[in-house]
Amino acid sequence: MITLSESARQAIAQHAESTYPHECVGLLIGRLEGGRKTVEEAYPAQNTWSAEVGLTAAEQEHSLRDRFYLDPRDYMRADRAARARGLDVVGCYHSHPEHPAIPSERDRVGAQGVGGGPIFSFLIQSVRSGQAAELTAWLLTEDGERFVTEELK
Amino acid sequence: MAVTVSIPTALRQYADGRASVELAGGPVGQLLANLVEQYPQLGRQLYGDGGQLRSFVNVYVGDEDIRYLQGANTIVPDGETVSIIPAIAGGNVQTFKRSNV
Repeated sequence: MITLSESARQAIAQHAESTYPHECVGLLIGRLEGGRKTVEEAYPAQNTWSAEVGLTAAEQEHSLRDRFYLDPRDYMRADRAARARGLDVVGCYHSHPEHPAIPSERDRVGAQGVGGGPIFSFLIQSVRSGQAAELTAWLLTEDGERFVTEELK
Repeated sequence: MAVTVSIPTALRQYADGRASVELAGGPVGQLLANLVEQYPQLGRQLYGDGGQLRSFVNVYVGDEDIRYLQGANTIVPDGETVSIIPAIAGGNVQTFKRSNV
């Protein structure tokens, strides 16, 4: 289960609306207690996707509207900032402009570097007509084969 | 004074839950090999079938990605921090696999 502070929830929604119609991406900073995560704040990052970081030539057909890439240097900054406060990076989020808040196959492939299991959440913020819509939480299975829904409070 | 290897959140389950591990300095490739020897389950998270670092796994010595230094031969001095950092990518549109729990 993952619990979000109201301010973190609002920050994710505002970030997703501000980058619309492009996808946004960021990290979640909070506390880990067993498999339970409490997010204290969202850490917005820049979506640095470009065709050059794509996995295949077919990536050329895509854009920031349907692709995201979180620069590992941003992850490192967030991780250091979290550790300095006795907190952890407990998940990440990205938006799906004009699409349901359901992970894509591409999301699954792009999550392989993170590792599966219950201690890192993947949040998806849907945005419709520029307005934040549903927010969902997912866990990657330990074999990396699929996402399963996670309870979000 | 040893080198501190910083383990990202989701990989700690493969390192006895540790957020960081202290190891002796030296070439970063050897240092990571020592890490994997100590925590074998980390190996399949960090390396692909060919023994290369997986494309979405990044290793930093201080603030620099070893791919832009001397790769596995990059020397890590004592007192330095090595960070294992995942890249995260994705996007919508394609078909997806899901299951409910």
